[in-house]
Amino acid sequence: MANQMAFYFNASVCNGCKACEIACKSKNNLPVGRNWRKVYQYGGGEWVPDPLDPAFQKPNLYAYAVSVACMHCEKPLCLEACPAAAITKQENGIVLIDADLCIGCRYCQWACPYGAPQFDEETATMTKCNMCVDEVAEGKKPYCVDACVMRALEFGELEELRQKYGDVDAIEPLPPSNITHPSLVVTPHRHSQPSGKGTGRILDFEEV
Amino acid sequence: MSKKDFLTKTLTETLLSRRSFLKWSAALGGTAVMAGGLNYGLKTASAAADAAAAEGEWITGACWHNCGGQRCLLKAQVVDGVIQKIKTDDTHEDTDDYPQLRACARGRSQQQQVLGADRLKYPMKRKNWEPGGGKKELRGQDEWVRISWEEALDIVASEFLRIKEAYGNEGIVELGSTLSRPIQMLGGAIKTWGTTSWGTWYYTGPFIGLGDGLSNTSNNDRLDMRKSNLIVIFGGNPAWSSQGNAMKFYMDAKKAGAKFIFIDPFYNDSAMVLADEWVPIRPGTDHPLVLAMAHTLLTEDDPILNPLIDWDFLNRCTIGFDRYHLPEGVDSKENFKDYVLGTYDRMPKTPEWASEICGVAPYKIRALAREIAMTKRVSLLTAWSAARTNNSDTWPQVFMTFGAMTGNIGQSGRMTGVSCWERTANGGNQFLVGSGGSGVPRLEDEAINMTVNNNELWDAILTGQYTKNATEKQDVNIQMIVHDGSSSLNQKVGMTKGIEAHRKVEFVLTLNFVPNTNVKYSDVVLPVTTMWERVAYFKGNREHLIWARKVIDPIFETKDDDWVAAELGARLGFDPMVIRPLTPEQIAFNQLMGCWTLNADGKTKDTLVTITEEDIAELGVEGEPQTGKISLQEFKENGIYAVPRGEGDNYTFISHQAFRADPEANPLKTTSGKLEIHCQANADFVNGKGFTTIRAIPTYNKPTEGYEDTFSDFENKVKGDFPLQLVTIHYRRRSHSMLDSVPWLREAFPQEFAMNQVDAEARGLKQGDIVKITSRHGAVIRPLFLTERLLAGVVYLGEGAWAEIDEASGIDKAGATNTLNGAIPTGQGHQGWNTCNVQVEKYTGPIELLPDFKWPQRMPVEEA
Amino acid sequence: MALHDWALIVFTVLAQMSVGSFIVLGVVHFFAARKAGMEQADRLSDRALLAIVPVLALAFGASLLHLGNPLNAYRAVTNIGTSWLSREILFGVSFAVVATLFALLQWRKIGPFIFRTIIAWIASILGLILVFSMAKVYMLPSQPSWNTLATPITFFVTTFLLGVMAMGIAFVANYAYIHKKKDDCIDAQCSLLRDSLRGISIAAVILLGIELVVLPVYIVVLATGSTAAVASLKMMAGEYLVLFILRVTLGFLGAGVLALFLYQNASSVGREKFIGYLAYPAFFAVLAAEVIGRFIFYATHVGIGL
Repeated sequence: MANQMAFYFNASVCNGCKACEIACKSKNNLPVGRNWRKVYQYGGGEWVPDPLDPAFQKPNLYAYAVSVACMHCEKPLCLEACPAAAITKQENGIVLIDADLCIGCRYCQWACPYGAPQFDEETATMTKCNMCVDEVAEGKKPYCVDACVMRALEFGELEELRQKYGDVDAIEPLPPSNITHPSLVVTPHRHSQPSGKGTGRILDFEEV
Repeated sequence: MSKKDFLTKTLTETLLSRRSFLKWSAALGGTAVMAGGLNYGLKTASAAADAAAAEGEWITGACWHNCGGQRCLLKAQVVDGVIQKIKTDDTHEDTDDYPQLRACARGRSQQQQVLGADRLKYPMKRKNWEPGGGKKELRGQDEWVRISWEEALDIVASEFLRIKEAYGNEGIVELGSTLSRPIQMLGGAIKTWGTTSWGTWYYTGPFIGLGDGLSNTSNNDRLDMRKSNLIVIFGGNPAWSSQGNAMKFYMDAKKAGAKFIFIDPFYNDSAMVLADEWVPIRPGTDHPLVLAMAHTLLTEDDPILNPLIDWDFLNRCTIGFDRYHLPEGVDSKENFKDYVLGTYDRMPKTPEWASEICGVAPYKIRALAREIAMTKRVSLLTAWSAARTNNSDTWPQVFMTFGAMTGNIGQSGRMTGVSCWERTANGGNQFLVGSGGSGVPRLEDEAINMTVNNNELWDAILTGQYTKNATEKQDVNIQMIVHDGSSSLNQKVGMTKGIEAHRKVEFVLTLNFVPNTNVKYSDVVLPVTTMWERVAYFKGNREHLIWARKVIDPIFETKDDDWVAAELGARLGFDPMVIRPLTPEQIAFNQLMGCWTLNADGKTKDTLVTITEEDIAELGVEGEPQTGKISLQEFKENGIYAVPRGEGDNYTFISHQAFRADPEANPLKTTSGKLEIHCQANADFVNGKGFTTIRAIPTYNKPTEGYEDTFSDFENKVKGDFPLQLVTIHYRRRSHSMLDSVPWLREAFPQEFAMNQVDAEARGLKQGDIVKITSRHGAVIRPLFLTERLLAGVVYLGEGAWAEIDEASGIDKAGATNTLNGAIPTGQGHQGWNTCNVQVEKYTGPIELLPDFKWPQRMPVEEA
Repeated sequence: MALHDWALIVFTVLAQMSVGSFIVLGVVHFFAARKAGMEQADRLSDRALLAIVPVLALAFGASLLHLGNPLNAYRAVTNIGTSWLSREILFGVSFAVVATLFALLQWRKIGPFIFRTIIAWIASILGLILVFSMAKVYMLPSQPSWNTLATPITFFVTTFLLGVMAMGIAFVANYAYIHKKKDDCIDAQCSLLRDSLRGISIAAVILLGIELVVLPVYIVVLATGSTAAVASLKMMAGEYLVLFILRVTLGFLGAGVLALFLYQNASSVGREKFIGYLAYPAFFAVLAAEVIGRFIFYATHVGIGL
């Protein structure tokens, strides 16, 4: 897609503050339970005896945050999977769900490795990040991007973002990019681990 | 939960859903029709969605909480009186030098607080309240009865008069300020003294010649900080505690090449992004670490072969470092150098000595000292957290001393001081923009001047005695607690005693807009407006000024605090026009008229806002037209005035620069005019209060409930009943206790209790277990979160959760940290939140603990 | 596990059982007709054939429960181009329609035999494609515990295993029914019953064997796969271990031990009643094993990524 729109995420500066997550909730009136953008922390490591003084433990740890929304993939598995043809890819590459067509089977949820499609209990249809199409149509940026306090998020044409920031499109805990070819450019954190080869875990404390 | 449990009436829909949000918004939008008192004419969701298609108006709404951030810009889109969504600063292009003032997750959730399901809507009284108290023990568990404003104000006025009559003004304690005018006219009330967030910086900082960190900073501004080669941060986590641009400013310094070292028990989210090195340290032990670093420099320094100490700076600009630089008449043994070297006490403060306490390896202490001493430009920064520890009265002093030893004071890229709260990473005492005064004259009425140590207040109520000074205890009989704009019960140490105290007095009054802990334990509650429902709010930081306006009309029966003060005053027999001489519109206009900005020369000030005759007429206020830099319309639309910044501008601030160049000509406001390593004023102040005794030099004073107290026998390293150290960290869900009930924030930030895997394994605990955390003062239960990012032996819990005490067991299930923190009064009246010993075990009792975001919202008075 | 997940278990297991039963019935009918003539073959299988129809109805009823928006269900076939779920539904409905049509024709003996045979073949092929589509539905790149050859293999094993076991009890029930009514041609049906149950027993043991070969290979594939695959395996070996053991044990008991007994008893005349005692527990053991297996299949899937 020539003018595929995309998100850029700079993991080296994100402190996991979730301003983007809440900005998205406010913009889209999302209730508790649905987060079209979600911030994860990934990390691991261990304490080891300090080689310079083994009486003390030395932290050999790492942690970093990753802000994730719909990747508006080049090969959107959700779109392929949807039996009702409710998911479409726009000319600018933005992937949208048409709630009127959706049958609420949640199959796209299984297909997507980013957790982007989320079920709206009230309308019994799937919903997800629409890259603030309304704002973009007016030449503005998605809310999450303008919300970022660390300026870790950007929005633009995929090709331009790649020229500017390189072509990394996956770090842990994101899935390997060959599954869906996400429209994403990432600047890794100094501790970032390659996708699919991580030694850590998602650190967020999820209540159930 | 029994039906009698008055605050916890379960809603079918406990969390604010989209539908109820729109319903609420619509209800408040002026289109609402009140029928039968409570039945609101509501817009349907689809009608609201149609309305969303229209642009409506973007109104700047206040973000008014005491968050430690930078008072960021929030704008609410309001269409037909319905709030649609929130955005932040887009008033100018965003650059590093001149950044937008972007709001955090908390600010952006404000709509869920202002329009929360748990907003207080009507005046109410406790069901079993009677004049004199009624069944006082039912406070906190009684039912609420909705009453009229007339009845509420009559009750409050009569209790004020009755208690004053019976016990004098000393029978009333005021823990806030919104009723301070009528209370002052009544003859005053007891207030508390001491510090809150500052720890020991509030008093000690200015005594020794550094800033307290808020009204006065000792740090250079953000643009100069980029010149630092090394930035060392003790106990700072702005990513959680000072949101807004602070982290970005640090990141700018990092991009400019600074190395970051974090000294903290927790590899926190700020360190995650910034730290090149993390030095884990036990809470409350920074003082021994710094003493040992000073020892390293003193023993290794050689002015020619290995110059580590800036002797020139020490000699010219400080007093008390060695026996040759002491104030007159002071015993020559009473100097810092001999204390560190152990010349007289035979106890050199070596890295080995410190290591046993702080847990940092001796080689690491030495390496750290050398690195700081040998790096050209260093920022030595600390947050207040390290000073929010018991007995840390001289911690600011030793911190300053080390900064002075390494010469990192008073030059570009070099600074030593507090980097915290809204001044994080951006020092500078001259603000570049500000607003005018309200024009409301001060009251001259005589009032009692009686203050009680923060930490002694609950005891004073319970025991009838308080410490007046070092030599005097005095009887006191407090029978009325007034919470007029505070969250004191939840936010002061020793909450268990606090609740007891609330159940002892004859009357408890609270003004608030949400049912926080104060409200829960009150007799009468008056619902007030939020800043979104008030005419105007001016606030900013060094470089910004925000003019927030009324976003929505006051909801339900809420009233402004000022209105309450005037109405109450009238019932106490005072002229309401004296209490509230100006309308909110006139006050706002006065503030607006007085807005000023510092010119590009960095010296002269200009009027900010141009106001025309038409503006005045339109606003319906009194005033004169004036000419300023921007039009009233522009300010109103933007909601913010940002002073453009750039490298090398005249706003650049380098703290202590003139003093360093010529200390004689530019003395500090200390006794000696110099930085006081020997500070008699500080010692006299603390010792005079009658709680603790300290020396004039910064000795290490073992903190109550610090690391050493986790042992029953420290010498032989035998752990005691409370073997873990608790830090009560600023938590992202809240601004202190504010916003705790907001559903979005509850979901995003679950109030986890964090522990290292090693400590958990030793106790047979696993992730997600409900654990009971017990201190000498109380117990809470929380879900367990395991993390290797905490030093073993240390646990953390976010401060500010609204206590939810299980009456049967006394256990708090919200994880309110002041249940665990004891009230331990010290000579500064500071609260030692980060020194607290606890034990942790698996909770096996009967209390059911749902995830916080599934908790029912407190709904004191049901909808009819 | 939520209701909609149970709906999927019911749908997939029952639909597969229907396909399996239909095809097994065809095979048995073919051999029965060769051995004892068309009439006897029809007597053996016609009632069993009709029993498949309500099972199919139940399966599709359950599948609707899975949808958030059942009124829109008709739209579920609008993405045949890329969606295996669309294809599954298309072939599912097609199989159901054609199989039901065949059952009606066969019951009423409408149309020439060859015509009915062609319809039966079409239904069988649609059924096989349906099972394949069902497997493909789960073979998503983002779901490593599903995205292996084990999914189609086990789906087909389930199809035929439940097919043979279900037909086993269908024949036993049919025999008991006929036996009660009249006595004249018991011997022919009796020998057909014994023959078919012998065949069924052998098939069950073979299918069990396939399952027991696939299982360890599957475990190795997961163990050496991505983090998500390993996480799935850990769930199987962890919180679902008891269920997992139960599933294997029940399968072994039903399709192994009881099937062998069945074979043994079906080999000698006069034990027809006792065969019934064996066939029912064998079927229910296998059904339980497959339902538990399918439950574990859904419960332990861990997606790659987030």
